[in-house]
Amino acid sequence: MNNSLFGFEINVWFDGLARLGLIVGVMTVVAMGLIYGERKILARFQQRIGPQKTGPFGLLQSVADAIKLVGKEDLRPTAADPWTFELAPYFVFIPIFLGFVSLPFLLDVNIRLLELGLLYFIAVSSVNIVGWVMAGWGSDNRYAMIGGMRAAAQAISYELPLVLSLVVVAMLAGSLNLKDIVEGQAVVPYVVWLPLAFVIFFISTLAEMNRPPFDIPIGESEVVGGPFVEYSGIRWSMFMLGEYASLWILSTLTAAVFLGGYSWPFGEDLGKGYQLLLMGAKSGLYIFVVFWVRASIPRLRIDQLMAYSWKVLLPLSLAQVLVVGFVRVYELPDVVLTAAGILGLVALVSITGRAVASTRRLPGAARTMRSEAA
Amino acid sequence: MKGIAKSLMVTLSTFTRKPVTRDYPNYHRELPERDRAFPLLLWDKEIDEPFCTGCHACERACPVECMTVLMKDNPNHKSNGGDSSRRKIIDKFWIDYARCMRCNICVEVCNFDAIAMNNTWQGHELSVHDRKDLVMDLEQLLVQSHVGAIKEWVPVLGQSNETNE
Repeated sequence: MNNSLFGFEINVWFDGLARLGLIVGVMTVVAMGLIYGERKILARFQQRIGPQKTGPFGLLQSVADAIKLVGKEDLRPTAADPWTFELAPYFVFIPIFLGFVSLPFLLDVNIRLLELGLLYFIAVSSVNIVGWVMAGWGSDNRYAMIGGMRAAAQAISYELPLVLSLVVVAMLAGSLNLKDIVEGQAVVPYVVWLPLAFVIFFISTLAEMNRPPFDIPIGESEVVGGPFVEYSGIRWSMFMLGEYASLWILSTLTAAVFLGGYSWPFGEDLGKGYQLLLMGAKSGLYIFVVFWVRASIPRLRIDQLMAYSWKVLLPLSLAQVLVVGFVRVYELPDVVLTAAGILGLVALVSITGRAVASTRRLPGAARTMRSEAA
Repeated sequence: MKGIAKSLMVTLSTFTRKPVTRDYPNYHRELPERDRAFPLLLWDKEIDEPFCTGCHACERACPVECMTVLMKDNPNHKSNGGDSSRRKIIDKFWIDYARCMRCNICVEVCNFDAIAMNNTWQGHELSVHDRKDLVMDLEQLLVQSHVGAIKEWVPVLGQSNETNE
């Protein structure tokens, strides 16, 4: 049994190993680059310079950090559950690795093109929550426990709008194969037909990656780092690597699923260099906006976060599924989709605005307690 | 929602602006002349000797007792054929910079405007490996004024007294 890799015929097992090594190597380098980029861009948002002393323009800062982290002692609290504690980073890390498998980076450049690529991605991307809860449980630390529980609650809540907005794309493309989805956008990217789904997807990915303003599980001011409290050295760096790897994965997925991937504009015939430029620009834009949001918006409260998912995002994404279903079944023109999407966006913005403007209503018991205290 | 949009715009505008960071060890901002580092002694260039007469006023006034002053007869006095009107002059002077709290009291009590707060970066960048090295002797205290490294700044108190007379 032989497979072809870069035009070479090699044994299946070597092929698998080579592809695995490719994921690990490329992902590590990209994650380091993203950490450097985030520090630089965030610094500019705060009118600082960012890392500049290590290497030219501070380019080696991530390498220095990695060496430092590897050199640190790998501590485990005596009261911690050894197996749960030590395995948790892998449970966070490996599902994120697996997410790479079906991603269409360029035309025919991917680890393995799966016929149900989108479904596979959705299935794999939610597994790492197990690792978060394990880290929270195994650390024998209240903060870590609360953080792990928050991570689970948040991920389960935001998984639904995320998946529903991807379902909408699959309905429109008529396929779960990511290659077909990208090719379906050769003329018009799906963000034009599905603006609401795109915005909901973006917000949900922020929550899914635990990026600000949804970094409630690892909120330093509340749970002092959440599940990471007791971790140090190499295990902590694995969590970090996983976080940035998922940022890269989701940026690529966004570019492929909503922004037209490598095929919009001007088709797929302009060569790999052009495709690389397109994908880089699109996922770079996504990553930049993520950093921008991080620099701008303060962290939400956990109840606001849950309410926003269940009361706002989920109904709107269900309505979106309904609208796309009607359009597909009765073969209405696609412009209806855009109109409905813009209407939905207006609704989303106005609901969010009302939620931001409204004052906090305390539950009954808390209100009586406060009035008694006063 | 308006607030969210506004915050996004604010961060975007700061993103386009130049960073305000100064690369400190490589770039020294110009210090104001009233910058208050550690006290040092001033050099009388006209007669070519220190202003200080060793009168112990600063030593007595110092709240942390970081100074040690010894006085001697001035060999350059007119009675000895010199051109100085100072009968007494400073012999030895130590200031323990590790103990000094930069309160400026010595400068205020000095009757001869002989002591001043250092207003250069040399007055701030004083890291040493041994804290004994922070005890400055007379030569170290005078050298900066002698070579003209510190910007001349007459304390406001002394200046106003002179103009009033």
